[in-house]
Amino acid sequence: MTPGGSEIARERIRRLHDLAREAAGDGNDERAREYVRRARRVAERNRLGLPRRFKRFTCDACDAYLRPSVNARVRLRDGHVVVTCDCGTQARYPYE
Amino acid sequence: MMPLTPETLPRHELAGLDVEVVAAANPDAIGIAGTVVTETTKTLGVEGTDRVWHVPKDAATFRFDLPAEGDSESQSVRVRGSNLVARPARRTEATGDSKWR
Ligand SMILES: [Zn+2]
Repeated sequence: MTPGGSEIARERIRRLHDLAREAAGDGNDERAREYVRRARRVAERNRLGLPRRFKRFTCDACDAYLRPSVNARVRLRDGHVVVTCDCGTQARYPYE
Repeated sequence: MMPLTPETLPRHELAGLDVEVVAAANPDAIGIAGTVVTETTKTLGVEGTDRVWHVPKDAATFRFDLPAEGDSESQSVRVRGSNLVARPARRTEATGDSKWR
């Protein structure tokens, strides 16, 4: 591949993450989903991982960009955090 | 870092950029201006003051405003829409650098 290909991909993912957060903050949930999905697709196509923050703030099931107490509930449990999306999907993360 | 430049723009994320349609087969499309908010294989969704315009890429020329980044000043770049016709997530690989070919 030509130099820069995955650099552009990485930068694109970063920008899409920012756009998703911004759209979600403005209440444009479907637009946020489009950006989340595209970031996932770009990562997949270029064999890149997604930043931890991206993974924590997106729903694996419906691609929503999660805003705690707006479209997601965050509860602290013994040794882990449980994030519940409005769609019902739960994700568990250990404390960092 | 491979920032957004006139050279990388066709392979970069277009959402979030300010854009104007500077030429188009459909005269009604000329002058549409706003922020790119959505993209499909064949269209760019441009949010103007009161609506989103879905502009066919193929028959239009766009002028994008690139924000200042690092040492570079803000600049604008004209792009033929036909160079952007591709699935949005695939444009990054669209110049033959795909690992899959
Ligand atoms: Zn969900």
